[in-house]
Amino acid sequence: MSAWATWTASAALLIAAGSASDRSWAAVRPCIPELGARQLELSAGQGVLLGVLGGLRTLVADVSWLRSYVLWERKEEAGCEALMRLACTLDPHARYFWEQTGFAVGLDMANWEIRRRGGYARVSKEVQDHVFAAYARKGIAVLEEGARTSRNRAPFLIVAGQLAEMKVRDQRMAATYYRAAAESEDAPWYAARFAARTAWEAGDRAQAYAWYRDHWSSVLRVRHEDRAPDDLAELRMMEDALGVPAMRRIPRQPWER
Amino acid sequence: MTMDALRRTHWIARITFLEAVRQRLFSFLLLLGAALAVSSVAFRFLNFGHGELKFVADFGFGILFLFGSLLAVVMTAQLLYAELDNRTALTLLAKPVSRSEFLLGKFLGVWAVLGVFIVLLCSILAGVLLTRAAEIAPVAEAAGRVPPSVNAAGLAIFALLQWMRLGIIAALTLFLAAGARTFLFSVVAGMLAVLGGQLQWLAQDLLTKPDVGFFQRSLAWFATRAVPNLQQFNIGDALVLESAGAPAGAAASALLAGSLHLLAFLFLACALFRRREI
Repeated sequence: MSAWATWTASAALLIAAGSASDRSWAAVRPCIPELGARQLELSAGQGVLLGVLGGLRTLVADVSWLRSYVLWERKEEAGCEALMRLACTLDPHARYFWEQTGFAVGLDMANWEIRRRGGYARVSKEVQDHVFAAYARKGIAVLEEGARTSRNRAPFLIVAGQLAEMKVRDQRMAATYYRAAAESEDAPWYAARFAARTAWEAGDRAQAYAWYRDHWSSVLRVRHEDRAPDDLAELRMMEDALGVPAMRRIPRQPWER
Repeated sequence: MTMDALRRTHWIARITFLEAVRQRLFSFLLLLGAALAVSSVAFRFLNFGHGELKFVADFGFGILFLFGSLLAVVMTAQLLYAELDNRTALTLLAKPVSRSEFLLGKFLGVWAVLGVFIVLLCSILAGVLLTRAAEIAPVAEAAGRVPPSVNAAGLAIFALLQWMRLGIIAALTLFLAAGARTFLFSVVAGMLAVLGGQLQWLAQDLLTKPDVGFFQRSLAWFATRAVPNLQQFNIGDALVLESAGAPAGAAASALLAGSLHLLAFLFLACALFRRREI
């Protein structure tokens, strides 16, 4: 084969290989834990390349998590968050990393910030609430990311709802998260009740009842062997409070107490 | 290629294989890799938030790739430069052996050694995973959890994918070594090429985005053709541990793309080596 033919064949093979690789990558991509370019930029310089380099990702994620403990004990916010996020990035399917990072950012770091400003005795209640809300929103952002990349959505949405309810003090926001958790496949039994309660407390009483009633009829009653009698009892209390006419109430169930 | 040429290539490959398995680097990395794969069970105290088998499997896959890449780059460059520096290449090429046959023989010898390395390490890893899965299963069942499972056939497919990945790295290093002047440069450039291959998917992802400028798109297109995507062989978790497995045809399409890149780098290596002054 002449030199020209060899170079031409090489170029043709490279182009064909590139095209085949495009198709192959599209098929293979869903099997590989998400490592987007954005995360790579965020954690560059912290050894993420080592993780990218091979299957040692899990080990590097674990080591990064261990190192974050050291910084957590020293209350070094920036370093601790960066290492926790690195662990999440390297092992995005691990629920533990996302959940704990959400808690650390949403709860612990707010406490550190208040202590840094002089402690609970010196920082006014308004400022404390503002700090808690700001950090809780950051924690919720982490949990939302976790819900997108991890296999289990509901646990993240429940924790996000709790942060929204207790720290952001936004019942409507909490209701949105609880509702999303209740509507996901791995929903825990209490998610729907939380969603209805927070929406009710936020003042959206009619909507809360309508959604809860629909969810009980189409999901809870079907999914649970005992047909979710406690949820029905809650619904009856709502019907009483809203003054729903007898004809428009949920028909009495034969098994109902 | 005639039968004589094939025979000569096979002969060079056989000699290269024997020379390579006698190298201390091969024995050292094989023993170290095997020891780490076996001892990965002892490292499980480092494990957070994921199944023990996933940790053991990931650890094994990582060792396989790290040590395998090191072996592929260093051994390929070393075996070629040993022939050139000792002038045995001159003696060999004075006989009716073409430069392409010589280079192809070298590659096949190295690739065979890498195959042995992968088969041995994957066998050890399979042993560790299956043993642990059998130990964990009753505990998981008692706790009401789904017992973990290991797909041995998936591990075999993964081994095949790794063999292709290391073959591409060896071919790429051979191409670099065929044009380079020093062994050190070949090794450093080879390792950088592996790094580039591991990050090539960034360019491939860029190509799928609609809002990318012409210059960036052209650069990404060139990168995806010139550099092989080594991440596409990294589907061990899906193949070995997940019940759903990898999507149908994913492994086959990765093998096809890989074999085209491998051939392209071999052609390029031959083209460069023909012009080289020995």
